Amino acid sequence: MTIRKATWATAVGATLALVLGACGGDEPEETTNDGPIVVGISLPLTGDFSEPGKGVQRGYEAWAKITNDNGGLLGRQVELKILDDQSNADRVVADYEQLIGSDQVDIVVGPFSTRLVVPAARVAQEYGMLFVEPAGAAKEVFEQGFKNLFYAAPAVANDHYNHLAEYLLALPAGQKPTSVAYAAMDDPFAQGTAYGLKEKLEAGGVKTVVDEVYPPNTTDFSSIAAKIATSKADMLVGGSQYQDGVNLIVALQQLNYQPKLAAFSTAPTSPEFAAAIGNKTEGILSPTGYTQQAPYPSNKEFVEKYTAQFGSPPEEDEANAYTTGQVVAAAITAAGCAEQGDCQKKLIDWVRANKVETVVGPLSWDETGKPQGAHMIQQWVGGEIQIVLPADAKETDLVYPKPAW
Amino acid sequence: MPSVSERSTKIAATVALTAFAAVALAFPELAPNPYILSVGIVVLNYAVLSTSWNFVGGFTGYISLGHGALAGLGAYGTGLLITKGGLPSFVALGVGAVLVAVVAIPIGYAALRVRGASFVIVSIALVLVTLLVFQSWASFTGGSRGLNVPRPFPGMLRPEHHRVFFYLFLALLALAALVWWLIDRSRFGLGLKAIREDEDKAETLGTPTFAYKLVVFVVSAFFTGLAGGLYALWFGDLDPIFQFSILTGSYMVLMALLGGVRNLFGPLVGALIVGSALEYFKVEFGNTPLHLVATGVLLALVVLFMPDGVLPALGALLRRLSPTTDTSIREVTAAELAATGGDRQHAESRNL
Amino acid sequence: MPSGALLFQSVILGLLLGGLYALLAAGLTLYFGIMRVVMIAHSAFLILAAYLAWWSHTELGIDPLLSMLVTVPLFFGCGVLLQRLLLARLRPVTLTMMSVLLTFAIAVVIEGLLGYVFSGTQRRIQLGYGSASLELFGARIAVVKLIAFGLAGVALAALYLVMKKTTFGWALRATIQHRDAAKLVGIDTDRVAGFGFGLGLATAAIGGTALSLDTTIYPSLHWHWIGPLMAIIVVGGLGSVPGAAAAAMVLGLAQSLLQIELGTTWAQTVFYLALFLTLAVRPQGFFGGRLAQRF
Repeated sequence: MTIRKATWATAVGATLALVLGACGGDEPEETTNDGPIVVGISLPLTGDFSEPGKGVQRGYEAWAKITNDNGGLLGRQVELKILDDQSNADRVVADYEQLIGSDQVDIVVGPFSTRLVVPAARVAQEYGMLFVEPAGAAKEVFEQGFKNLFYAAPAVANDHYNHLAEYLLALPAGQKPTSVAYAAMDDPFAQGTAYGLKEKLEAGGVKTVVDEVYPPNTTDFSSIAAKIATSKADMLVGGSQYQDGVNLIVALQQLNYQPKLAAFSTAPTSPEFAAAIGNKTEGILSPTGYTQQAPYPSNKEFVEKYTAQFGSPPEEDEANAYTTGQVVAAAITAAGCAEQGDCQKKLIDWVRANKVETVVGPLSWDETGKPQGAHMIQQWVGGEIQIVLPADAKETDLVYPKPAW
Repeated sequence: MPSVSERSTKIAATVALTAFAAVALAFPELAPNPYILSVGIVVLNYAVLSTSWNFVGGFTGYISLGHGALAGLGAYGTGLLITKGGLPSFVALGVGAVLVAVVAIPIGYAALRVRGASFVIVSIALVLVTLLVFQSWASFTGGSRGLNVPRPFPGMLRPEHHRVFFYLFLALLALAALVWWLIDRSRFGLGLKAIREDEDKAETLGTPTFAYKLVVFVVSAFFTGLAGGLYALWFGDLDPIFQFSILTGSYMVLMALLGGVRNLFGPLVGALIVGSALEYFKVEFGNTPLHLVATGVLLALVVLFMPDGVLPALGALLRRLSPTTDTSIREVTAAELAATGGDRQHAESRNL
Repeated sequence: MPSGALLFQSVILGLLLGGLYALLAAGLTLYFGIMRVVMIAHSAFLILAAYLAWWSHTELGIDPLLSMLVTVPLFFGCGVLLQRLLLARLRPVTLTMMSVLLTFAIAVVIEGLLGYVFSGTQRRIQLGYGSASLELFGARIAVVKLIAFGLAGVALAALYLVMKKTTFGWALRATIQHRDAAKLVGIDTDRVAGFGFGLGLATAAIGGTALSLDTTIYPSLHWHWIGPLMAIIVVGGLGSVPGAAAAAMVLGLAQSLLQIELGTTWAQTVFYLALFLTLAVRPQGFFGGRLAQRF
């Protein structure tokens, strides 16, 4: 029995040492009110959402720099503390736990992607923190009963295509598309955009001929494309992120399918999109919550300084992060405080009751934190992507039916 | 009449265990902030998972990479029984774990009829197929929108919530370790270890190998399901991609193997090392996928150089340092015998 | 009821997919035959080859097919080293289990390094002929898919010839059938096993290049491939190369046809269903595979 006892003793001894080791260190830092305002963020810098995650990071960095160049908030500088959640919900919770509990940050703002926003918002709620987020657009986010959450963009996913639905349903009977194929990624945001349009078109009597949902890791789109191509649908709606949209389009091109109208969420606004599908972009539609040309006062400063800082103008992810910063800044300025504790309640109450001027226009929220607005519709016309809907904001006319790809 | 060294190690073991229990019980009070406490819960969860894994891995020598799926099933089972079945949280936890055990019967039947390679393939396939099913069956499981498990103690503030769950995980760990210890000392355990050393001989000598393997697999699944379910109650948000992840299963293997699969506390030690290392890696190298590389390298090193784990290695060191040594071949395996001498040829031919 | 055109299109897509599965599963089953090793890292090397093809195309402007001039010999060497330096070190008694863990570890390291070097972003080669297609009785066949299928076919045929017509192939088959007996008749089984591994990994290099032509790649993609491939080699009978090829074509076709009614996700479960059924009903596999009985 000696050997067994010896290993037993080692086991317990080693365990003990480790536990004791874990207990030491990591004393919470004392925070004072003259130091910088520390804003804690967890972002997917690696993993499935790393690309948009980095966009959001740039947006936050631009916000911190521009704010500090203008003298900071309440006379204090803004400092970002960004952790990587590896696109993983377990990590995102641990990250916010660390930011709030251990690093004692003054403010937390949201991560990227709906599936990470919900767990993160719960942590913030249970610590009583304000939680403004740039990227949880799916309607599920607002059905969780959060009291501290606000989405810093004009509209939730299901309302992205509202202007397009109105336009299509108003077309005369001969021109109106009669059949539509939907293909959406099984992701609350991407699917939300496509299904928001589906609901409205179906209610307007437009038939659904294909309705495909694919998991986020799908790489082979040939069979989905085969179904869409053989259905000969008039119109194609893709609830896509980026690469899946590109893959679907290439697979459809391989099958020589030519719809009268094609709309994809997110993908067409990416700078690499045109090259990725062989520059056959003409006529492809996409909703957007942000445009660099938007006439709002803070937007001009944002585009100018962002371009100076990063060398290229901001996209939607960057703008949403910047907007988040603007909302938080407005709340801090109005409440006159930025730290954990009672101050957070003041911040939450202020955001709920007020309207904030941002780079995507004035924003206000309902009880659940849902913003009250709709997205614009863009289309590739003449080799560049331009606003075509709504009529009062358009840069050019909508092209319908779209040219062959 | 026990020898001096035996008595001293016995005393050391008792002291160490008491001290560990005391520190573990006091940990929630000692933890400087809720974040450290939550890390403690994650590490305890790993410890329970790898101890549960070790019912199969330690006793029979069958390496399962699919226990992540069983934990995921426990988590989703518990969550769905609460949200769709309307059961109280902790009743759902128990029923969920029993369901996982029931599901494990046909899986074990398919996986254990044939030897090693097929078992491993089935265990990996289990993770991949459960991921597909739970992603696709969105109307029931919530798909990739996730499943929200209601809090068992609504209104409780987060630090207090952590404290309660720390003790719950600790209790579950104690229970799993107790059952492992009981099996280890039983006739059943003896039969299982015979399978590990030489399945053919065990069968020839009348051990009902298939039945034994199946029973211990189901026991292991039950505890894994409990751990998964408890995690669901604590964590609250389930997503198929993270619940049915091949990495979870591989962490369990790594922890158990690193600590030592033949030892009751091997998985616990492994969980403390790997769990703390993962957390450290996250803090130090957060924004790179290097944690994967580190996990892989560590696993490869353990497999190549320390397949029996750190505890036996440390134990051997301790023995060498102590003045009197009495050797026993009880815990020496056929593998070690084969590795040490001329039995190699024989072992190789048997392996064909 | 799906239309005839859709069925025909799906059959063609299924056959094209099955060809790629066949090549990759052939490599995987070869390792098992030689050493009773389930090589989890096979598909990680596949993705690595795809990344190298993508990298040489985007950075050096070389056609991805030419990258094989480097990757095939490179992977062959890796395979030999992997077998001789790592797998041969494991204890024979626990070889099957420990080799799984070791190759799993290698897979995770490759995934981590790919993520570190190329980031987690999805990548895709943009070829001039990427969206070109041929017409066949109303169905469309993408040129890139046809090239991939051709690559797989040529590689499989070459593998077949090597195994059937060369002295090395003869020694390899002898080693697979009975290692001790092969040793007795004077075959250097260690050397043969090393080369066998090299051969297996070379198929991954070709498969990866074929894969990179028409799909998106990302570091964790290999999990997506290893599951179906493992199912194929069990259904085909562990260790049997023709069995793996046959099972690959059947299951690839089944997946493609099931996608019409069930959608992509559910259709993938056909592999696992076939795996569980095979093990429950006929553990030695459906297409030969004498070895599988005991493993």
